[in-house]
Amino acid sequence: MALLDLTEVSIRFGGVQALLDVSLQVREGEIVGLIGPNGAGKTTLFNCITGVLRPDSGHIAYDGKDLAGVKTHRRARLGMARTFQNLQLFGRMSVLENVMVPIDAFSPGTPVGDAFRLPTARFEERKAEERARALLYFLDLLDVADLQAGDLSVGMQRRLELARALASNPRLLLLDEPAAGLDARETAALADVLFRIREQFKVTMLLVDHDMALVMRACDHIYVLDFGRIISEGPPEDVRDDPEVIQAYLGEVA
Amino acid sequence: MSDLRLVRWTAVGVGVALGVLIPALLTDFLRTLAADAAIAGLIVLSLVLLTGMVGQISFCQYSFAAMGAFTVGSLVAGHHWDFWLALLVGVFFAAVVGVLVGFVALRLSGLFLAILTIGVALFFDRFVLAAGNWNSFSGGLSSWRPGRPSFFGIGLRGEYAFYLFAFGVLLAACLLVWNLRTGKTGRVLRAVRESEVAASTVGLNLTAWKLTAFGISAALAGLAGGLAAVRVGSVSAGSYDFLHSISIAAIAIVFGAGSIASAPAGGIFLIFGREALIDWTPFSTQWFDVILGAGLIFQLVHAPDGVVVDIERRITRRLRPPRQMPSESEQRSPERVPAEVG
Repeated sequence: MALLDLTEVSIRFGGVQALLDVSLQVREGEIVGLIGPNGAGKTTLFNCITGVLRPDSGHIAYDGKDLAGVKTHRRARLGMARTFQNLQLFGRMSVLENVMVPIDAFSPGTPVGDAFRLPTARFEERKAEERARALLYFLDLLDVADLQAGDLSVGMQRRLELARALASNPRLLLLDEPAAGLDARETAALADVLFRIREQFKVTMLLVDHDMALVMRACDHIYVLDFGRIISEGPPEDVRDDPEVIQAYLGEVA
Repeated sequence: MSDLRLVRWTAVGVGVALGVLIPALLTDFLRTLAADAAIAGLIVLSLVLLTGMVGQISFCQYSFAAMGAFTVGSLVAGHHWDFWLALLVGVFFAAVVGVLVGFVALRLSGLFLAILTIGVALFFDRFVLAAGNWNSFSGGLSSWRPGRPSFFGIGLRGEYAFYLFAFGVLLAACLLVWNLRTGKTGRVLRAVRESEVAASTVGLNLTAWKLTAFGISAALAGLAGGLAAVRVGSVSAGSYDFLHSISIAAIAIVFGAGSIASAPAGGIFLIFGREALIDWTPFSTQWFDVILGAGLIFQLVHAPDGVVVDIERRITRRLRPPRQMPSESEQRSPERVPAEVG
């Protein structure tokens, strides 16, 4: 059974049909790619999956359960995490704090415990910090742990988004253009990082990106979105050779 | 880092010592003003929490304070309750009203939130605090004269004793807010301020946390109102009107809602600044608001985060040279595979 299962999801904004009958499956342990030209509806689809937008019709099921009416923060608790195309870091907080927040979200601490510095609150605090530091080490950000997140380079901010997404211990990681703004060397390194994340965290991924090299290299299965519709799907090599895809997407690049 | 802590705790120590010693030398009249300053400081502190941490502005903090003051006044003077119990109830009522306002404010921020809170303050002025409204609750008394309580057997009738009590409450509240700020609560609230979409995506319940912030902030203001009721010895609506809320919000912004030190500093400035203006200059008290407005403009241009925050930042910078950003080219690409995470 697929971990994430979208059935005929549609949404329109006024006169624009952003998504039309999109069906898509992500099986546990896979890295699935979603590609398509600008404005094809990729980020809209992510917003539907995470509950930021509500689709007009269709079903989104996660781990066999229908997600209709489940709020964004509840979906995080079910094991969904995402990164943002337009970086959404907590800019005026330290790199370490950015990674601690998702851990806080799942910890049982209350303001009362904080205000009176109860032993349990201090214990949770130490635990969260240690785990956050381990994640920063994993993504090679430990050296900048005390800097403000907004001061980092784009490459480091993208890695910080990954660290923050991993901090909530997700089963499904939704990556919205993680290579945007990265140079060729960083993009190449990113694919390795994704493989390492899958290996270490046993996490399933849905990856949206423009960078064909990255998607072709990293993904087991690819969906191609154009004007809100899935126009092709399959293993990377099949999709690459699909004439309709070349017409809609690759042809445009070449 | 340890230099910074040393300076910080020395400053706190000196501040507390001066706060205890100076009023001992003053006249009783100035001691009552000092107690008022501590009470106003509590209200500034309530904004340090709401504006400084969550980024929500409020122009109705004195309405929350009024909930505390009117509850304490009516329960102590009208129903002969014990002050401490009445204070607890007053703080609770204020927190409830805060949560209700927070609920309406959930989807608002910036200008729209400001307008909403002004509406709340005006509603309080016109309807809730209007003459006669609380009479049925107070058993028919038109004005309450709650007596001063005692604190562990020590009477607080003396002005110095009461000042020390109010100052102690302010210090304790500052400590609690400091703890909140440095702990999980502070981190979570700042995260909500920085990016709501990211905060909810990582699993934070925005509704719950915003309501928590409004509740705690209103509770602090309610606590201030409860103290003010017994400091003055009577409760009147005029002390909690909308204009007070505007002044205190302006002070929180001028001094900087990002720092807890703004609470005592803002309280002192509000009470003694106004008094100094009347005593030492030919200007009347209205001019205080003009000065405050001018201060607001100066601060927004020269120290947008607030005067106290700006000073703290300068000191921090002097004590701790800025860390060099490791440039991207010196960064190793993440290829090491570290120990188990997760």
